[in-house]
Amino acid sequence: MANLKDLKTRINSVKSTQKITAAMKMVAAAKLRRAQDAAESGRPYSTRMRQVIGNLASKADPSSAPQLLVGNGKDQTHLLVIMSADRGLCGGFNGSITRQTRAEVARLKAENKTVKLLMVGRKSADALRREFGDMYIDQHEGLQGTSVNYDDAASIADTIRSKFEAGEFDVCTLIFNKFKNAITQEITLTRLIPAEVDESDAADNDAAAVSYEYEPEEDELLASLLPRNLSTQIYSALLESSAAELAARMTAMDNATRNAGELIDRLTLVYNRTRQANITSELIEIISGAEAI
Amino acid sequence: MAETTQLELVTPIRIMAQQAVEMVVAPGVEGLFGVLPRHAPLLADLTRGVVEVHENGKVTDRFMIDGGLADVSGESVTILAERAIHLGSADAAQLKTQAAEASDDEAAFLNAAIAAL
Repeated sequence: MANLKDLKTRINSVKSTQKITAAMKMVAAAKLRRAQDAAESGRPYSTRMRQVIGNLASKADPSSAPQLLVGNGKDQTHLLVIMSADRGLCGGFNGSITRQTRAEVARLKAENKTVKLLMVGRKSADALRREFGDMYIDQHEGLQGTSVNYDDAASIADTIRSKFEAGEFDVCTLIFNKFKNAITQEITLTRLIPAEVDESDAADNDAAAVSYEYEPEEDELLASLLPRNLSTQIYSALLESSAAELAARMTAMDNATRNAGELIDRLTLVYNRTRQANITSELIEIISGAEAI
Repeated sequence: MAETTQLELVTPIRIMAQQAVEMVVAPGVEGLFGVLPRHAPLLADLTRGVVEVHENGKVTDRFMIDGGLADVSGESVTILAERAIHLGSADAAQLKTQAAEASDDEAAFLNAAIAAL
């Protein structure tokens, strides 16, 4: 039979774990509100930007348009930009990104493509280093959390652009957790280079057959617009990913707190039963001792 | 009421304006241009300057923007700006304190906004 002192220690240790998880939940919830606001208010901007770019890409002439918009015509080397969290204890957040990356790499490998990885966030980078470490071309940490900075996004975008211009890859895809609500995150793959063309948009355009006028000239405008679009898309992904991370942590810690509560209840029951059994057996000993006299 | 065009001014932080207006004047890199309803589709790069909203021939609202992009179609004007300030509700003193703390680039923008007030 478990002894009372051991049970007491066990209950106390679970209680202190519960306090920690409850505190982490509160912290995540408080930060989540800010991150969620930032992610949601940033959406219209990036969506509209994507629409404009998609519009341009659907009309662009592949031979003369900038390569950032329509790609360089090849499909051999793929760069995957993976966004995970810097910290753990957030449920399946990092695990699902890692799994998705593994699947995507396997898929591309099966098609005989070369894959390169640019890791943002520490957790997935650590998890995949042993398998895919030789594919890493760059790694960023500490960009996420409550203060996502546009300049950081711009510097990642610059890295991507310079590597693309140096011909190091042909297609660039971004994999990140999109914030849906406090309970669910949605793994999203967005193709950055060449720009994604929304099929429904393209159909609309054919019907309307609008031809834009440009001010200044088309190539000049695109030259300033495309890098900005790249930074914007990465910035919005960072915002989404940060909000999703906090939401995942909040849910995970909420579950942990609840589980700890259940465990405490169970242990307390065992503790009380044991105590009672001890008392009963002591009483029997006393009574039978008294009867013997 | 005269014909209107749908103005949207969007920044990464929030939607600054979303309203039907009669005319918008925007600071293009090649000079100011006005947009009336049924304007030909236009994609224009914008520079730092003031976006003016006109109603009944008068300026009713002004926004300072720090460059951006205008996507004009027959029914709508969408302005994407990285930074924007609503000049109608801005306060010079407050902007000045912000400018003192901000980075050089942002401070220059805020000072331009103060000058435009």
